Amino acid sequence: MNLPLERLLLNRLAFGASPDDLGEMARLGPDGWIEAQLSPDEGDDAAMAERLAAFRLHIKYPAGDGYAALEEQRPLVCLGSDVADLWPLTDGKHPMAGQERMRPRQEVAAATLLRAIHARWQLREVLVDFWHNHFNVNAAGDHAVAAALPAYDRVIRTHALGNFREFLEAVATSPAMLIYLNNRSSRAGNANENYGRELFELHSLGRDAYLNDLYNRWRDVPGAAKGHPAGYIDQDVYEAARAFTGWTIEDGAGLGGGQSLPATGRFTYVEGWHDNYQKRVLATDFDPFQPPLADGRKVLDLVAFHPATARFICTKLCRRLVADTPSDSLVKGAVAVWTAHQRRPDQIRQVVEAIARSPEMRQGAGAKVKRPLELAASYARVSGADVTVTEGLLNELDGSGQRLFGWGPPTGHPDTMDYWLSSHVLRKRWTLVLGLSENWWGTGALVPTRRLGSGLDAGQAARLWHEDVTGVPADAAAVAAILSGVQLADGAPLPAGPAADPLHRRMMALAAMTPAFNLR
Amino acid sequence: MTLSLSRRTLLQTGAALLAPWPGLRSMALAADGGADQALIVVFLRGGCDGLSLLAPANDPDYVADRAPELRVRADGPRPGRPLRQTVAPEVDFRLHPEMAMLGELYDQRHLAFLHAAGLENGTRSHFVAQDLMDRGLSDGTQLQRTPQGWLTRLLVERPSGAPAIATTPALPASLGFHAASLAIPDLRGGLSLPGGPRVGPALAALYAGSGDPFARAASETLREMDLVDQRLPRGPDGKVIDYYQPDHGAAYEETESGRAFRTVARLLKMEIGLTVAAIDIGGWDHHDALAGRFASVGGQFGRSLAAFWNDIERYHDRVTLVVMSEFGRRLRTNKSNGADHGHGGVMMVLGGRVNGGEIYGRWPGLSSAQLDNGVDLAVTTDYRRVLAEVLNVRYGAGAALPRIFPGLPAGAPLGIVRA
Repeated sequence: MNLPLERLLLNRLAFGASPDDLGEMARLGPDGWIEAQLSPDEGDDAAMAERLAAFRLHIKYPAGDGYAALEEQRPLVCLGSDVADLWPLTDGKHPMAGQERMRPRQEVAAATLLRAIHARWQLREVLVDFWHNHFNVNAAGDHAVAAALPAYDRVIRTHALGNFREFLEAVATSPAMLIYLNNRSSRAGNANENYGRELFELHSLGRDAYLNDLYNRWRDVPGAAKGHPAGYIDQDVYEAARAFTGWTIEDGAGLGGGQSLPATGRFTYVEGWHDNYQKRVLATDFDPFQPPLADGRKVLDLVAFHPATARFICTKLCRRLVADTPSDSLVKGAVAVWTAHQRRPDQIRQVVEAIARSPEMRQGAGAKVKRPLELAASYARVSGADVTVTEGLLNELDGSGQRLFGWGPPTGHPDTMDYWLSSHVLRKRWTLVLGLSENWWGTGALVPTRRLGSGLDAGQAARLWHEDVTGVPADAAAVAAILSGVQLADGAPLPAGPAADPLHRRMMALAAMTPAFNLR
Repeated sequence: MTLSLSRRTLLQTGAALLAPWPGLRSMALAADGGADQALIVVFLRGGCDGLSLLAPANDPDYVADRAPELRVRADGPRPGRPLRQTVAPEVDFRLHPEMAMLGELYDQRHLAFLHAAGLENGTRSHFVAQDLMDRGLSDGTQLQRTPQGWLTRLLVERPSGAPAIATTPALPASLGFHAASLAIPDLRGGLSLPGGPRVGPALAALYAGSGDPFARAASETLREMDLVDQRLPRGPDGKVIDYYQPDHGAAYEETESGRAFRTVARLLKMEIGLTVAAIDIGGWDHHDALAGRFASVGGQFGRSLAAFWNDIERYHDRVTLVVMSEFGRRLRTNKSNGADHGHGGVMMVLGGRVNGGEIYGRWPGLSSAQLDNGVDLAVTTDYRRVLAEVLNVRYGAGAALPRIFPGLPAGAPLGIVRA
């Protein structure tokens, strides 16, 4: 695929090419654009903030036991809320529609999609998507995770370009993660191993470093004798689980003696639940009776600075940003930057910069399939229309195989193309671009004739849309295919004025169904 | 590379077999004995607690290591459903009370269980264990050179005239790199393309002759979807009739299990020549609140499976269904009233040609010395022996087994299925 460099970079470091970003690229040059994207504002850019403030998301439910029917266009009131404000949504005794309890997830999903389409700081949005998948939680069907999701999203946004060790602790103390991987109920005695295991396998060292055939022989792990074990074994999982006992949330749980925790949903540490005795994690001894949180923090130090973690996460970053199977040299370069900056506040930014400025970033277009979020956002962006987000679009995306904040297993969504080429996902891809094109979900009408004027014939329009949408000229077969979708011959005149819009919209959608637009 | 090879092979086979639609089944039948058999593989994702599903209710270690509310009991208001068995006569094996309806299928000898079955590899990682089992392996070092799923390899060895079906949004890894397959999370609404009748031909033209993976997958999808979509009942307006009336009063719930089994039942009855269907049921990772969560998801699964079996009665002799999970769970529960990742678990085999009404395998016991690593139920039957026996006896695939399951251990037949 011979994609212009500007398009290639916008497909990888942004949610696709928009007329605005193509203009920025032209003005700043590719290097200047990358430079700017690496230093975003702390929060949303002003236009984005304004858009989010003005945005309304429909909510509707019939009357139920103890609550009245409701239908309204509601602002994103949960999005900026603290977990304590939303915790009442988890109180099962309080009568409330399910839609209210799940509203925080809807709002974060709507904001995510809006930002993917319209945010100026596109690279950060790409990384926020990456980290949400890396530190996956499932808010669909779990009211407590949903209530904690807006706060969790802010944690991800804060650290997306920051320092990994700090990021890891912010996640470990996030109510959403403590609920999702059950650490909130883990106590001395038989600790809950869920978080401990996924911390090693998914958040840090990665499964390639799981040396499970050495199950209980920690001394046999290469490097253990010198205190630098090459990987982890089940005993490390068990011991880490003990280290995190007592890391919990204020969920009203009883403490004994008639005392109980408050019900705010916020992180807390309960000393009485912590396993105080000595431990050994990654061939490192932990003394008994450490100060509050010290055991868990020591585990986070050990995994955050482990070489396997650098390799695992840098590989994942390269896979997300460049290709399903990134080259060794690209990953090695990223690992070197990761390790050199691992105690710096902008560690991740440095790594992303190294990847963004690598020669591999400018080669090999077509090595990945866009995920449905990327597909929808990039189509909305390239259309140049003022596309908004609606409940209907969110529902469609939920059914596309990429359910935002609703992926069950802690792996996050798959990041290689085989998963995204199933018949179901393909059918949903076609639905997404056609529905956006033809405004099936009220996301905003595309008015192509406003851009084109009139006087074009059908073949000219097909060629124009193909190049406009995909960035590459159409070959004869693609032109014929697009024209067959509107049943017009090459050279056939188009109706004058807005009457041609439905034909243009269909041609745009077909152009967005090409491999050229779906691969990146 | 493997992807294009298997895709090309399957495309050619598919094209030859699929040409006239009505002849499809007879051609598939003619290919080889057993080709009209439908293999349904159910994977319980997350690590199903075999000690709750099929509980050794009177085992002293089970009683000692699990609080009364966290185990299946022989007494009390909600006792488990006892099963007659000979695998360990002294053990009072009981089905979870929410899955008691499966006891009828067992008594009718359609349903067999295996206890202490699973992956011999000692991994306690969901994702490593699932990867190994989806690819029919046990040795982790083989993962790199075995990208295809075991069902994909079965279909390479024994090509089917019909697409393989998965009830998930995307194919499970057991069908990984299989081109002729459809992912159908829900058949309601049909499989027609969005945007009206002109879109299909336009898309087919758009992808024709293009060699990239996206275009190839899209072309294949258009072809396979059309085959199934044509067979859906339609009203006078041409729209798919969503109404589906299961036979024998069977009722499917609106749950992941209910939707999946309803979808497969409909596809069976549409006579598309279904030979392989993969069902994934999630939600078994019960690190906390084991009792309530198992009762909920186990009950949904049990009711759906029973409804399915009732609904497809006239297909019983053609269907063999296998249920498995990546591992069982720890004998001793944790402080969250859940159970962490364990080892040995339960498998199920259901079918008209199953020697049901028995628990197969070898029950290793639950004392410390008998447990794997001193903590988890041991694995005494490699899951692949069960799958291999089904493929051998019901699908005549015996000669291909070493290719479908690399490193398959030899062993005496278990006797679970008959020809």
